[in-house]
Amino acid sequence: MNGIQPPTIEYGQLMPLLLVFGAAIVGVLIEAFAPRYLRKAIHVPLTMLTLLGAFGLVIVQVLRDGVPTAAVAMGAIAVDGPSLFIWGVILVLSVVSVLLINDDDNFVASAAAVPGSPDEEEAIARGGAHTEVYPLALFAIGGMMLFAASNDLLIMFVGLEVMSLPLYLLCGLARRRRLLSQESSVKYFLLGAFSSAFFLYGMAMIYGYAGTVDLGGINDALGRVGGQDTLLYLGTALLGVGLFFKIGAAPFQAWKPDVYQGAPTPITALMASGTLVAAFGAVLRVFWVALGNLDWDWRPVMWGIAILTMIVGAILAITQTDIKRMLAYSSIAHAGFLLTGVIATGEATQNANSLSALLFYLLAYGITTVGAFAVVTMVRDAGGEAGHLSRWAGLGKRSPALAGIFAFFLLAFAGIPLTSGFFGKYAVFAAAVAGGALPLVVVGVVSSAIAAFFYVRVIVLMFFSEPAADGPTIAVPSAGTAAVVALAAAATVVLGVYPQPVFDLADAAASSLFVR
Amino acid sequence: MGETITFWVLAVVSVSAALGLVLSRRAVYCALMLGVVMLSLAVLYAVQDAPFLAAVQIVVYTGAVMMLFLFVLMLVGVDSSDSLVETIKGQRFWAIVAGAGFAVLLGLAVGNAVLSPPAGLLGATQTAGGNVPALAQLIFTRHVFAFEVASALLITAALAAMVLTHRERLTEKPTQRALARARFLTGGSVVLPGPGVYARHNANDMPALLPDGSVSELSVNRVIARHDVEDERFPDDPKLAEAIKQAVEEESK
Amino acid sequence: MEPAEKIIQHAGGVIGVSWLMIALPLLGAAILLLGGRRTDRWGHLLGVAMSLASFVVAVLAFVELIGLPEAQRRRGVELFQFIPGMVDMGVLIDPLSISFALLITGVGSLIHIYSIGYMSHDPARRRFFAYLNLFVAAMLLLVLADNYVGLYVGWEGVGLASYLLIGFWQQKPSAATAAQKAFIVNRVGDFGLAIGIFVIWTTFGSVAYGPVFGAAGGADQGVLTVIGLLLLLGACGKSAQVPLQSWLLDAMEGPTPVSALIHAATMVTAGVYLVVRSGAIFELAPTAQLVVTIVGVVTLLAGAIIGTAKDDIKKGLAGSTMSQIGYMMLAAGLGPAGYAFAIAHLITHGFFKANLFLGAGSIMHAMNDEVDMRKYGGLRKFLPVTFATFFIGYLAIIGFPLLSGYFTKDGIIETAMHHSAILGWLAVVGAGITGFYMSRMVFMTFFGEKRWADDAHPHESPAVMTWPLIILSVGSIFLGGYLILGNTFMQFLAPAVGRPAELPVFHFFSVPGLATLALVAVGAAFAWMKYGRAQVPVVAPRGSFLTTFARRDLYGDAINESLFMRPGQWATRFAVFFDNRGIDGLVNGLAAMIGGTSGRLRRIQTGFARSYALSILFGAAVVAGALLLVGNL
Repeated sequence: MNGIQPPTIEYGQLMPLLLVFGAAIVGVLIEAFAPRYLRKAIHVPLTMLTLLGAFGLVIVQVLRDGVPTAAVAMGAIAVDGPSLFIWGVILVLSVVSVLLINDDDNFVASAAAVPGSPDEEEAIARGGAHTEVYPLALFAIGGMMLFAASNDLLIMFVGLEVMSLPLYLLCGLARRRRLLSQESSVKYFLLGAFSSAFFLYGMAMIYGYAGTVDLGGINDALGRVGGQDTLLYLGTALLGVGLFFKIGAAPFQAWKPDVYQGAPTPITALMASGTLVAAFGAVLRVFWVALGNLDWDWRPVMWGIAILTMIVGAILAITQTDIKRMLAYSSIAHAGFLLTGVIATGEATQNANSLSALLFYLLAYGITTVGAFAVVTMVRDAGGEAGHLSRWAGLGKRSPALAGIFAFFLLAFAGIPLTSGFFGKYAVFAAAVAGGALPLVVVGVVSSAIAAFFYVRVIVLMFFSEPAADGPTIAVPSAGTAAVVALAAAATVVLGVYPQPVFDLADAAASSLFVR
Repeated sequence: MGETITFWVLAVVSVSAALGLVLSRRAVYCALMLGVVMLSLAVLYAVQDAPFLAAVQIVVYTGAVMMLFLFVLMLVGVDSSDSLVETIKGQRFWAIVAGAGFAVLLGLAVGNAVLSPPAGLLGATQTAGGNVPALAQLIFTRHVFAFEVASALLITAALAAMVLTHRERLTEKPTQRALARARFLTGGSVVLPGPGVYARHNANDMPALLPDGSVSELSVNRVIARHDVEDERFPDDPKLAEAIKQAVEEESK
Repeated sequence: MEPAEKIIQHAGGVIGVSWLMIALPLLGAAILLLGGRRTDRWGHLLGVAMSLASFVVAVLAFVELIGLPEAQRRRGVELFQFIPGMVDMGVLIDPLSISFALLITGVGSLIHIYSIGYMSHDPARRRFFAYLNLFVAAMLLLVLADNYVGLYVGWEGVGLASYLLIGFWQQKPSAATAAQKAFIVNRVGDFGLAIGIFVIWTTFGSVAYGPVFGAAGGADQGVLTVIGLLLLLGACGKSAQVPLQSWLLDAMEGPTPVSALIHAATMVTAGVYLVVRSGAIFELAPTAQLVVTIVGVVTLLAGAIIGTAKDDIKKGLAGSTMSQIGYMMLAAGLGPAGYAFAIAHLITHGFFKANLFLGAGSIMHAMNDEVDMRKYGGLRKFLPVTFATFFIGYLAIIGFPLLSGYFTKDGIIETAMHHSAILGWLAVVGAGITGFYMSRMVFMTFFGEKRWADDAHPHESPAVMTWPLIILSVGSIFLGGYLILGNTFMQFLAPAVGRPAELPVFHFFSVPGLATLALVAVGAAFAWMKYGRAQVPVVAPRGSFLTTFARRDLYGDAINESLFMRPGQWATRFAVFFDNRGIDGLVNGLAAMIGGTSGRLRRIQTGFARSYALSILFGAAVVAGALLLVGNL
């Protein structure tokens, strides 16, 4: 044997990631060995402690070692400033989402029972719900972290799948309207697989061009390889399709409303916040790190996609009648706003500015989103959540506090000053203007105005319409849900009034840009 | 030269098999076509000096994955089929347009690329001491993390399968005694006929008879019955023949 | 004149944490509003504690500030970047702002304490204290911010708190209407202020006081005049100056402590603060300054005349407040010589007017919330403490020699006289009318025979209400002399607002001073004849057209109605008509287009996974084609 040098793995820097995956595996073992009545009691603290611990580890790492400057795990993973920030954001959003998940009323009692069958009734009568959601959620969260921190296309693909697979399943586990939920799950799975295929195809093209899947290596190859540019363009386009699908950019957005509507709302919250953050981390890595020197070529295309995304998201949201679908389209529009920041590349300082704006936006938007979906879980009908907008009429008269908070979240989505959404939008648009994308910002502002229309419409509906006689009830929130709403509202206020510390943090994370 | 010939032969075979996979109406044919595609790929790998990959392709895909597909198809029933009528206006047309456009783009792009002459896999892996060691080196050093993290994927998949299909037993499994008691309590036919009393055939194409001598509709095999009706090959017993006809008629409704 | 000192950045010490002044009451408000009923039992105590804590911080910061050499008494504390690249939020502690902070937290705390007793029977007492705390926080932000945007945030904050508190008894339609009126009238002023700040930003490229005032000298005078007039419009709204005065009288629908704190002692003086703070701009725009003085004089007369005819004790005091703020505004328009008198009068007025309002509250508390003075009479024996303190406040406001108001009001009159004789004599006339209406109030309330309703059993208020009265009346006696004699206050304020070329000397018996005293005496005597000696009819007589004129608030509402509301309605009708035909065609067309596009696009969302996949395939083909196209161009 000529001998293989054992690989070096920087366990210290990878600890947050390893902790999440480790806890997920422990969770699976608990499913296997712990008695049914104990499982939830073990899962909840385990999951929460894991996520908080991983968050703590991220902070400790930043405080102790600062920002690492080289990729780890044999160049597979880049634990750099943006990664650490995104990890922190994902973990915070996950903690909040897990608090929401920790509510039996959202998940199916027995996924294998046919909807509407006596088996199902029996399972519901016995109470409880699938506790597998906890390890599955942990796997998804680990996948998100991996996806956003990957330093080569291979690990990025694995991360993409590790993130998506548990989510496909979790989408199908809603307790109520199970057929809708299962339909959303299948759709998400099929389309996700379809887009993954594009990603893989693109990866193959890029490999054919550069001879490596390493992001830094691809960047090096841009100046070196000649005559195969068509391969490169094709690969870029196909990689882009896979990533745009994940962030829900038009015309790859079709899955979002269906899936957001069908999935159990806590899972929707996790997807709408965490997945979006992770996917943008990956978009930035591919387009800035690997293809940064190709920006002259991909920028016009991304211009088109960003414009289309903003407009489609804002316009389609207007005619929605379901609150979750409306939030899904709003999420599409926000993906468009974020893309304007991705486009705003230039010199290193400009890049750092755009990056810091994006990081802030992702945090602000993620937290508000989780809060909004938490409110959605609390407005209930006999048949579960009251999704139809007409059912929300007059909510402000029945439950002014809840309606007020929801209105506040909507205003934050619309980007009204003194909410976190304002500073997020302001920062991203400012960066885009500095990056020479003024027309894009004009489109962004116009679609923000269109979007404000449907946010305000919901507010008007809640506060100025007469409540229906048989209107939905407001569930007394569990401690977790109440905490989520309170946290999200507090964060939205604080980031809207005193955003400076978080801006500073994002600046610090972005200043060193990505490692290659 | 040999490689070129193999390539062109396999290209025709695998592309037509892939087309067959998409266009065939029967699930079993699709699965078999998939098998052909996979086997062709395995041969291509082997020809290109990647014997390990070829073996894995055959063992994993043709062996395990294909068999799994077929098992599932058999479990679901080979005769069950989805409606293939396209209900969305323009879907087919636009799908063909988009697919063709995409294919043209791919062809243009790849065709326009100026590729340098390939070094060959043997040459590439020479430094590591051959194909398998080279692969091992990549898997266990550079890509070790991806390799390990893929386990998360497998665990998720296994867990997902459990969640979706495993139904916990919520009530005690009824014992034989309980079953017998239940039967006696409801009255009805207390004594079941002994095995083999009424059956005159154990062939798959012969419907079973109920204790009163009538034909059990449930036991008519639809696929075979369809063939029987098409070929006008009915059993001698008019009762059985009638049942087969009825089953086919019912299905065609 | 000497200009103001430069702002020096400051860190550490009490001044370094002076933002706590704002944060503590804000925290109190947040706890009380979010805590819900759980905080009902101790909520009022928390409110008082937060206000007192803020007062303590203010006092400590004040002590630290006067420990510094005079030239270094403008300390800026940077807090955070508020709007990146535009506004850096910070606190400015200088003699001007700390004077306000002391007044707001000091009088504010007393009124908090008083409210414990006054609101003890109200089921929503916790909410009341939450709003009070919110008000204190917003008002402190207004005066402590080191830039116009921070000031504007505080400005809107006090507007909100005022709205909430005027309409606190929202079950009363009159209170709800009054709250809306206050809010809408203030909107006009706030709009002016906002545009003024926009103009400041476009002119100077900054909104922080330091850079703006530093660059004011180099700006075009026309622009400065525009800025000054816009700021004045804002000040008129908040300080109830003509022509935006009409809301203040209706604002008396709120609980009396609110009237005392917000609509007499502090918030309504925000306009004076704004003018004095922006002195550097006004001094370079004489036209704007002139308009300020005219507004001040007109208001001081109008307020006084309104005060003469009101039978509602609180509305009478409200008219008086308008009038007194008119004096301050007049002084603020007179440049550095007037600033010190304006602020000194503002502070003493804060004391004696709060004293009078709380006294009125105490009387109402005793008389089953009766506000009509015609149903009072002879109360001095039944409410001895209230009477004594009210009487001290009365003497202070009419400018009885050696009490607070004497020094500060006289200072304003003398400065005005020095500036322009017409202004000065009009101010003297105003003082005479003050003597009349205040005496009328005292005689109708405390003297004469009982004219009570049958079920009235007047009783002295509890100690928690009388002690604040006593403390405030002590301030009403001594504060004015302390501030004015020897120009103590002018010297103290100088680092912030500049110093006049020559310091005024206080003459105890000058011509205007004697004239003022004489007119006040005539007014008081006239009041005694009409209301002290004679019978006061329980039902108001019809009176002359002058009385009607005054009773109707000088037809302020009628003017508003005919000048703004009617044409407004016509304009609205025309606009609606035009809108339906013309603009609607455009706007509705646009909305319909968007809605229609939305509906059409929505049809693409069929719900079938295969059509979604088709859209992805299409998208992929287009993206790939576009990239290839761009790449090969």
